[in-house]
Amino acid sequence: MIEVRGLTKRFGTVTAVNGISFEAADGEVTGLLGPNGAGKTTALRMIYGLMKPNSGTVRVDGIDTVTDRLAVYARMGVLPDSHGLYPRLTAREHMRYFGELHGMSGASLERRTDELIDLLDMKAISDRRSEGFSHGEKMKVSLGCALVHDPGTVMLDEPTNGLDVQSTRAVRRLIRCMRDDGRCVLFSSHIMQEVSALCDRIIIVAEGAIAAAGTPDEIMRQSGHGNLEDAFVALSGLDEVRI
Amino acid sequence: MKILLTVFRKELTDGIRDRRSMISALIMPLLFPFMITFMLNQKADQNREAFEIDIPVVGSKRAPDLIDWFVRQGYDVIDGPEDAETAVRDEVHNFVLVISDEFVERFAQGRRADVELIYDGSRAETSRGVQRVRNLIREYGRMVGRLRLTARGLSPSLGTPVGIDDIDIVSARERSAERFNFIPLIVIMATFLGGMNIAIDATAGERERSSLEALLVNPVSRRTLVLGKWLAASTFASASIGLTLASLLVALSRVPLQQLGIELYIGEREIVGVMLVTLPLALFASGLQVMFATFARSYKEAQTYLSMLVILPMVPHLVVSSSSLGEAWWMFLVPCLGQQLMIADVLGGEAINTAYLLMVVLVSPMLGLLCVEITSRLFNRERIVFGR
Repeated sequence: MIEVRGLTKRFGTVTAVNGISFEAADGEVTGLLGPNGAGKTTALRMIYGLMKPNSGTVRVDGIDTVTDRLAVYARMGVLPDSHGLYPRLTAREHMRYFGELHGMSGASLERRTDELIDLLDMKAISDRRSEGFSHGEKMKVSLGCALVHDPGTVMLDEPTNGLDVQSTRAVRRLIRCMRDDGRCVLFSSHIMQEVSALCDRIIIVAEGAIAAAGTPDEIMRQSGHGNLEDAFVALSGLDEVRI
Repeated sequence: MKILLTVFRKELTDGIRDRRSMISALIMPLLFPFMITFMLNQKADQNREAFEIDIPVVGSKRAPDLIDWFVRQGYDVIDGPEDAETAVRDEVHNFVLVISDEFVERFAQGRRADVELIYDGSRAETSRGVQRVRNLIREYGRMVGRLRLTARGLSPSLGTPVGIDDIDIVSARERSAERFNFIPLIVIMATFLGGMNIAIDATAGERERSSLEALLVNPVSRRTLVLGKWLAASTFASASIGLTLASLLVALSRVPLQQLGIELYIGEREIVGVMLVTLPLALFASGLQVMFATFARSYKEAQTYLSMLVILPMVPHLVVSSSSLGEAWWMFLVPCLGQQLMIADVLGGEAINTAYLLMVVLVSPMLGLLCVEITSRLFNRERIVFGR
């Protein structure tokens, strides 16, 4: 469960995120949808505690991410905006390293690693060094690292960005799987289809503020459009800028 | 603690698999001592050449006794050229010894008899040979003088009313230590080169391949992360020190040190002493490198900074040796300089001042830890983490 209250971030004179408030419940997939530069990544960075907000609070399962960051990380899995790999470590070594950073070890860690290799369909690359991995392969390894400690809350910044169809489907399957396990999943995307295919609740972000929030049906009703894409364009203010 | 070990082990594995890190940790320590010994060997060759000179003599038949003396001292005498001066000017010979008829006459009469030594004083490379021949003739003269005095029933000491007893308060070993100034320099350079790449890779490199964000969202304090990276870099630097000393030992065993007039004793005490003094320096060097590399915006920038850092160890040494400052207690508090002075003492076989030793051994790790603390704080800055 993630509770965000009045989150604001300024860079100099630019306000990147302006008073965002929302909740992401357990057992639900919440999608942050917005065009590039809307402030999704900045908002997520504050939510997973790497950036300090100018004002506002974030609580994960009731724990404040600003004052008690490490406690939050223990129960949260994060796929950050930038998630490069160590070129000289294998896929398995990556997951083992991150598992150990979470205090895991021994047989349980090995079991979990094998499970993720299975889930993310990485058998072919599990013992290869990550140097030269394709974009999709890298994404899978990063996801594996984020999920190795079996977190109750998961935050993914553009998890399907640039993936081929097959990898996208694997990631979607994984997200649904986690929701069905009762976890709280928050992810961001600028791709409408991605959000509509997965989300129980959608939060549309435009110019650093929330333009609309609710279930897909509610969003369509709010905007007066019959499909989600038109609703997204109308609510995020894209139609004024483009066309 | 367990997590610290995890970070340390991962960085070490990463470093060992990185060819660049391995090269900077291995190649220098292996190559440098051999370069030095090559130079020393050349010097020894030059010294040997001074012994193996042929002495060109014009009129050698006029002073058979002198020629005989040369030969007994192990030199070969060859016939000198007709025109001695031209031969020297044309560099056919480095010098020519000319014995005139007058010499024979005066020598026989027991008067001062001169030989002519023709050489070119502007050719520095010949001076060693000229000096050697001059000494040989002088020694011969003294010997003859003593014989003549004895033959007349006088004490040979009449001819040398004043003598000099050389009492050099510097032991031969200490004097040699002076000439081995380069040993601490090599070891210190190895310290700075050994962990350099891993220090960059674990900080600026982490950001450059954008793996830093994912690393920081783990329940591990930034101090633990930096400590692990620091210890991994220090391990590389320490390994580099060990290798350098080992290869230095092997290399020096191939140099005819005695021919260079160098007395260098490296035994257990010396090796333990040098290690004890330099290993803490690894913690300082790596700390400094991790800090600077974190501050740098990119891998390239970090490389530039750290390359400059390699020169840093020479600075205090140059300042002190050029400013005619004597050895003072505070110098042992300066990293690198303290190490240099201490290694010189250890190799010189001097008594070690325990307080100074403690200063040298303790200051570097403390400064290293300070750098770690500063780096941990840097990692809390958004500018550093996100590279703004």
